Amino acid sequence: MSTFVRGCCRAYRRIARAFPHQYRAICGDGLEQLGEDLVPRVWQQQGVVGLIRLFGDLALRLPCEHVSTWADRLREATMADDVFEGTWRARQSEPSVWKVDDRPAPQQAYLRFEPTDTGYLMVAYGVVNGQACAERPQMIIADGRRRPLLDLSGRPVPGLPAGAMTFGSRPDPQTLELRSEVDGQVLGAGRYEVSADGKTLTVTNKGSGPKGSFEVVMVLERVVRDPYRA
Amino acid sequence: MPKPKPDAFLPLKSNWFHILICLVEGDQHGYGIQQDVLERSGGKVRLWPATLYGSLKRLIEKGLIAESGERPAPELDDARRRYYKLTPLGRQVLDLESQRLEDLVRVLDARRRREARS
Repeated sequence: MSTFVRGCCRAYRRIARAFPHQYRAICGDGLEQLGEDLVPRVWQQQGVVGLIRLFGDLALRLPCEHVSTWADRLREATMADDVFEGTWRARQSEPSVWKVDDRPAPQQAYLRFEPTDTGYLMVAYGVVNGQACAERPQMIIADGRRRPLLDLSGRPVPGLPAGAMTFGSRPDPQTLELRSEVDGQVLGAGRYEVSADGKTLTVTNKGSGPKGSFEVVMVLERVVRDPYRA
Repeated sequence: MPKPKPDAFLPLKSNWFHILICLVEGDQHGYGIQQDVLERSGGKVRLWPATLYGSLKRLIEKGLIAESGERPAPELDDARRRYYKLTPLGRQVLDLESQRLEDLVRVLDARRRREARS
């Protein structure tokens, strides 16, 4: 390989490394590698014209990719945050109601809301009697339509009577309501209300299960807004 | 974020179409895609590296392709290479685009036949 071609390879590598991190994270060192592989071949087959095209492609894409990265960042920064998304932790200082026959109040309680294509995936977990525990994840589709109460795999939920139905609604942007019933009898009614400043979530859950009636009122504070952001 | 509908990508950009075609037969790395496009187009379409990887990045972001976890046998593999595969959405988009082009060709053929008859 001639000194000129080696110099071209070096120059290509340097310019390729000036591409934004976002671009390099997806493409790895593929751009550098492919460019270096092509320089000798293009020089041999197309001469100076080929090299001009090869470097021209790099020179044109470089500013475009930087502009695109900045545009993405700007879009992310101006994107409205979802009021429910993130993890919420029960406040120990706030008064709460916990009247559940078969279970003691948790020492720590968390709720996690993840937006999905259709609504929210809600996961409740915490520490009860010094042991970590988690509830069955639930989908909240707040469109007011009645659906069979199934687990995430589409199977009936163990312990619930056959034919149980659920429906979610969103009376206002800060509130979600979830209700489940069977044959007109209410099994549970949950209300999730985010405060106006978006910092606290008040959960009210009432109903009657196989082991008796229950009532839970809890105030939670936001601990993580979006897990994909620093 | 709502899932994009496959027909929202139509008409497909020419570079994207070429790349998706390359991935129909199986996973492929950047250099392989470039060579495949060059050969298939009889040397007429050359995806220069920055353009190729820019397109791959956008196709990944749009969910039409994904990085493949499968790799060839170690003796045939180059650890530095990244392999890409078609996603189900990418396959749907490719099918719709092929259908769209077929329809256009059919319309053109019909007009030519009519013109020849008159």
